[in-house]
Formats: sequence, C-alpha cells, structure tokens
Amino acid sequence: MRFGRLLSLALLLSWQLARGEPLKYEFLLLPSAEGAGTFDRTVPDTQIHAAVVQADVLLTLQQGPLKLFSEYLLSNHEGDLERLQLGWQLSDDTVIWLGRFHEPGSVWNHDHHHGQYLQTSITRPAIEEWEDLGGVLPQHFTGVLVESGADVLNGRRLRMALAGGIAPQITEEGLEAFDLIHPDTDSRHQLGFQGRLSLHPNEFSESGAGLLLADDELTTVGLIEPAAATLDHVHLRLYGLFATYAHADWKVTATIYAADGRMYYTTHRHEDSFSVGYIQGEYRFAYDLTGFARWEDSIGAASSEYLKLFDRFARARQVAGLRWDFAHRQALTVQFARTHTLEGQYSDIRLQWSAAFF
Amino acid sequence: MECGVLLSIRRLIWVIFFGLLTVNAGAGSRTLVLVVRADSKLVDLDSLAVRKLFLGLPVLVNGSPLHPVRNRSDADLDPIFLQEIVAMSQSAYDRQTLIGVNRQGWLRPTEATSVGELLNQLYADPNAVSFMWLTDVAHNPKVRVIRVLWGD
Repeated sequence: MRFGRLLSLALLLSWQLARGEPLKYEFLLLPSAEGAGTFDRTVPDTQIHAAVVQADVLLTLQQGPLKLFSEYLLSNHEGDLERLQLGWQLSDDTVIWLGRFHEPGSVWNHDHHHGQYLQTSITRPAIEEWEDLGGVLPQHFTGVLVESGADVLNGRRLRMALAGGIAPQITEEGLEAFDLIHPDTDSRHQLGFQGRLSLHPNEFSESGAGLLLADDELTTVGLIEPAAATLDHVHLRLYGLFATYAHADWKVTATIYAADGRMYYTTHRHEDSFSVGYIQGEYRFAYDLTGFARWEDSIGAASSEYLKLFDRFARARQVAGLRWDFAHRQALTVQFARTHTLEGQYSDIRLQWSAAFF
Repeated sequence: MECGVLLSIRRLIWVIFFGLLTVNAGAGSRTLVLVVRADSKLVDLDSLAVRKLFLGLPVLVNGSPLHPVRNRSDADLDPIFLQEIVAMSQSAYDRQTLIGVNRQGWLRPTEATSVGELLNQLYADPNAVSFMWLTDVAHNPKVRVIRVLWGD
C-alpha cells in the first residue's frame, strides 16, 4: 500500500516535470496458443497444461523523459500484471525505473520476458521458469531498477543493471512474488538485490558475455510439509555467467548459475548449494525454418534441501524443435523434450502458434 | 555583436550549401537529408545517433527525447532507409524494434505515408526528426536540414 502511494506520488511529480512534452505511446500484443501431451511418464504429476491460450499485452506511455511501461499476461489459466514500471530516462544510456520488474539476474527472462513469439523454443529453461509455474529462483521484484550502458574499448558496449526490491516469499505452492495490485497484509516479504554486467561487440549486437549476482532474502509462509515446516527463511546467493554468440544463421546461448543458500530453521541452520546450466543452439535454414536444441543439466540438485521445496523442478532436460516463421510476424513451432525431475521423468511434445501485433 | 556576425556567416554557409545541393538536384540526382522543425534545439546528429534514433533507442537533446518519423511516402526510400540509416534487413529491423519494445518499452518510429503528413508531424513537434528528399524541403522555411544522409 505504501509502495502504491509512493509510485503515485512519483508519477504525479514526474508528470509535472514533463509537462509540455507530447504524449507518445506504443502498444504490442504477443498472442500464442499451445497444445501439449506427455508420455513415458514416471512422475505422478507434470503440471503441464494440455492447452494454453494467452495474450501478452505491452503498453508504453511516454512524455518527455518520463515513461510508464506495463506488461499484462492474460491466459486461460491466469491473469497477472507482470511488469509495471515508472521510468525516468536520465540520458541516452541510463534509465531509472520504479515499480514491478523482471529481475536483471535472469538471462533468459531479461531477454524474452513473457512474449512467446520472441523466444525460439516453446518452453524456457527450468532454472528460468516463472515463480507461479514452479520456478525455483525469484523473477519478479518490486522496487528500483537502474539500467545503463557505456562505450568502452574502441566501440564495444558495456551494459549494466542494478536492482533492489521486495523479493518473493516461499509458500506451500512455491515462490510467490509481491503482488503490486493486491498486496497481502500478512505477507513476510524481505528484500533482494541483483546486478548484471555484460560486454558486447557493439551497441546493436546480440552477441556478448557477462556475469550476474543476486542476493535475496526469501521468507517462508505457511509451509506444511514436515521437513520444511520449521524453515523460517532462506538467504539465497546466486552467481551467474552467460554468453551469446549470434552470427548470420547461427545463435548459441550458454548460461551457468551457482547458488549458495543458507536455510534458517527454527532449530538450526543448513548450508545448501547447487549449480544449474544450459546451452541452446539455433540454426536458421531456408524457407524461414529454424532448428533448435537445448541441453539443461545440474550439479548437486538431487541433494539440495532448497530444491526439495520445489518438487517439479527439472534437474536435467533435453529439448529439440523446429520453428517456421510465416506471414507477417507469425510462427509455428513444434518441440520435443525429455525431462528428469527430482521425483522421476517424462517426455512431452508441444505445438505452438505465436505472433506479434502492433 | 560577435555572436550576430557568426550567426550571419552560418546562415550564409547554409544558403550556399542549399544552393549547391539544389543545383545538383536539378541536374537529375537525388539527395536525402535529415530534417527537423526550424526552431528545433537539435543542431547536429552523427550517423551512429541517427541509427540509434531510427531503431527506437532513446536519443536525448537537452534532456528531452527525440521522436523519429520514418518517411514512407516514396517506395524508393525504404531500401535507402534500411541500407544507409539503420544498416540492416527489413526482418532484422522488425525484430530489433520488437525487442526494444518488449525489453525496454522503447517507442518505434512513427511512420508518415505522404510528404504532407510528414511535414505536419514535423510542424507539430519540435523534437520530431525525419528524412526527406531535398527537393521536397529546399525552400521550406519551417523545416531545417541537419545533414545529408544519402546522395546518388
């Protein structure tokens, strides 16, 4: 509630400062429809929806250096305000945001967000999954995000992002991000901080490499599983390295995260650690066809007490598929995946239509 | 006083510049120029900043963002825009602008499909920046040329 008032005050103040500038806007609709089926299953529940129809709606309002940017996702399973950011463009290279944002420490989500059309594969890597879909790392924060860039080393581009805000909390259903529209009165949310630094050949290149840091305090609310019932909070530190190489028809992305967790129980403290990585390769063939394959794996996942809080987490997964871009900004994608969770394994096949409309 | 003399010299240089370009245009060649409203605060913009601007990246002058307007009044302008201004294919340009909107909430350049519509957008917004054939703008006192972008 207090944050809502602060956001309203900042909006009013910024609007006063930007008075006289013309109001500009941008609207983007990213719809998709997907069908999925599983087979060779040894887990009782995969939580894969047989059919998902969704619309990701992005709206930007800009007046002078002031921006209001929002992303709302509506599907046959959920409706969520994913991003709501009030921004001030300080210079060509620097913008400061206040509001709800995707944490900059997630490589995949920082690049693709919720829109399906802009990611080649149908699914994202398990380590990058959203909180409400079984994700194990915090993805949505409410607070301050500063993004900047600078030319260094003869035209190379350094990009930076720093963020701090209200972190998700751990519930019986998994991680739960702070709800900006309907904040819980009995929530125990604490703070989290993230940083991202990357170097690119030039300002417009998709290629680049960088590192990530995150330090999040994740409190628990209402855990009833006997093994976790006395868990009070988790202090999770995340270190990441990533690299992307994009050249003509090729694109390769590789990411590795190392997590150190301190789990504070009412009677003791447990030191936990695990590492997760993935590599995805894409190749664009003739006739606007793009083949892709991804390999995801982990170290220490099976013995991690933190990951046991999320029984659907995929400790390893192999993904392959083919995408066909047709008409104007529309795509059909077929994808096969073999997933190994902490409880068993399953295979799935998916077919998706996605598009982008202005 | 000194400032006034400098201003006069500057205007003279512009007159000579326009004169030469107009003579050249009259001989059958075409020249594409970057234009703003006559009272715009924008004085100069290098090619990298022009590229950034038309890819939707923020380019600020005195703290205010410039507003790019893509001129689509002539089919001949599209290949020049893609090759000389943003330096990428139409599909790559589409993808780049989509990514900008999705990641940062950047605004895509607005489009004008006739010279009249383009001029109206320029007249209405001191931060608007566009490109036009020199012959469409040479004697218009409400519009100022920033630089030459392309000539054949």
